[in-house]
Amino acid sequence: MNFTRDFAIGAAVFALAAIPARGAPAIDEYVTFSGFGTLSEAHSDYRLADFTGTITAPDGVGYTRSWSPALDSDLGVQANITLTDALSGVVQVLSRDDVDGNFKPALEWANLKYEVTSDLSLRLGRIILPTYDRSDTQNVGYTLPWVRVPAEITYTGSATYADGVDALYRVKTGAVTQSLQLQWGTATEDLPGLAFTSNRAHVMLFEDTLQYGAARLHLAYEKCDTLGFPPSRLDLVDAGFTYDPGAWFVTAAGNHTQDTYFGDFISGYVSGGIRVGRFTPYTLYSSTHAQSVGSSGLRSLGDQHTVAAGLRWDFAENLDFKLQGEQVTIDTLDDPAAFSRLQPGVHIGDKANVLSLALDFVF
Amino acid sequence: MKSSTLGALTLAIYLITPVRAEEIVVIVNPAAAPISKQQLADLYLAKSSSLIPIDQAANSAMYVEFYKKATGRDTAQVRAIWSRILFTGLGIPPKQLPNSAAVKKAVAANPKAVGYIEKSAVDASVKVALPLD
Repeated sequence: MNFTRDFAIGAAVFALAAIPARGAPAIDEYVTFSGFGTLSEAHSDYRLADFTGTITAPDGVGYTRSWSPALDSDLGVQANITLTDALSGVVQVLSRDDVDGNFKPALEWANLKYEVTSDLSLRLGRIILPTYDRSDTQNVGYTLPWVRVPAEITYTGSATYADGVDALYRVKTGAVTQSLQLQWGTATEDLPGLAFTSNRAHVMLFEDTLQYGAARLHLAYEKCDTLGFPPSRLDLVDAGFTYDPGAWFVTAAGNHTQDTYFGDFISGYVSGGIRVGRFTPYTLYSSTHAQSVGSSGLRSLGDQHTVAAGLRWDFAENLDFKLQGEQVTIDTLDDPAAFSRLQPGVHIGDKANVLSLALDFVF
Repeated sequence: MKSSTLGALTLAIYLITPVRAEEIVVIVNPAAAPISKQQLADLYLAKSSSLIPIDQAANSAMYVEFYKKATGRDTAQVRAIWSRILFTGLGIPPKQLPNSAAVKKAVAANPKAVGYIEKSAVDASVKVALPLD
């Protein structure tokens, strides 16, 4: 059942483990270590439910506790290994609050990359699944304009990696650079509602990232066939746009999901900010809305919307501090995207005021 | 204590000034083809991997000046761009070498390497691919 995963990771780990046996060059000649992390605290004034920030966390702030570092804190360590000019590998281990509510480190990536030409590469192993515009670095707070990726946009597909193979191809057409990715594998989908977490799914993804000057467009199509219960087929189309000339930025993304079990969804966000010296004030609006009912019979699954404002302060090299305030409105009683543990007395239209502080670093 | 601070400051100014005053040139291996300014910006902003870019020390005057002229970006933005590339597993940032002599040596040794140094440091071991001013 997990043959693809076991084979892919096994092959990658075996090949990477075989490197030190070659001896000879100094370790920093072929291995580059790097890492990232976030230390944070979040608070919600809404006592009838937990604000979790993501659908994968079992609890959060508001009902269970008033403040928590668990929503956004994480630590990742990465090794890039250069074997030959054409062959390289990457291993990333990530520790963050997971579905089980602990920070147990887990293997986020372990793959081998073979460069067929300078524009065509093949990868094998545990590989990033770039469903969303920001999913490529959603755990790296330093690379995000906000404290976290809006829960609304990632509601229908939460897998961040797949075990399998992919091909990367870069095309230059005039001043436009396109990066194409075609990927097959198996992923662990944390589906809406905690009863269905940790479903294995066959996944196929096609992604195209276009860059033209300071503009960037991300287009992705993902198809998931769940292997366990509930039997479902998911089709997701995502588009994201960013224009970042330096002194300011605007970014927006939207996606449409058809899920045979949970129904159809439309989600999106729009955000912008201005860079004034080391300070970047920003605003964000995000929303998710269920358009139809799938075979589950659940209505308006996930519905919520958020208005947020924040300030990023790049106070030192490789460090930033963020302060973010947001008002999240609950638009359904069926699993609003960023909430869990709804208590009796929750009404549609209730608002949670959330305050987050984060210190991001890369090394 | 005070005099050592002053000494460090004088040294820093002494180190920064000549670089600022001098023209930066992009160098390649004598065997390599010249490159365009667009190609250069692509290489140093992770949009192309056809050649191997080499950096001077991070936040050195030369580094700051080079990125401003070659890419139009300040160093915080450059770091954010490369962090994104690094932490998507798509590549690693250019190797940083401590000075122009080390950059020159690396470029002379590899036909695919690209670097940048002050014009006065150019010798026969490398070829000027592009002036930056």
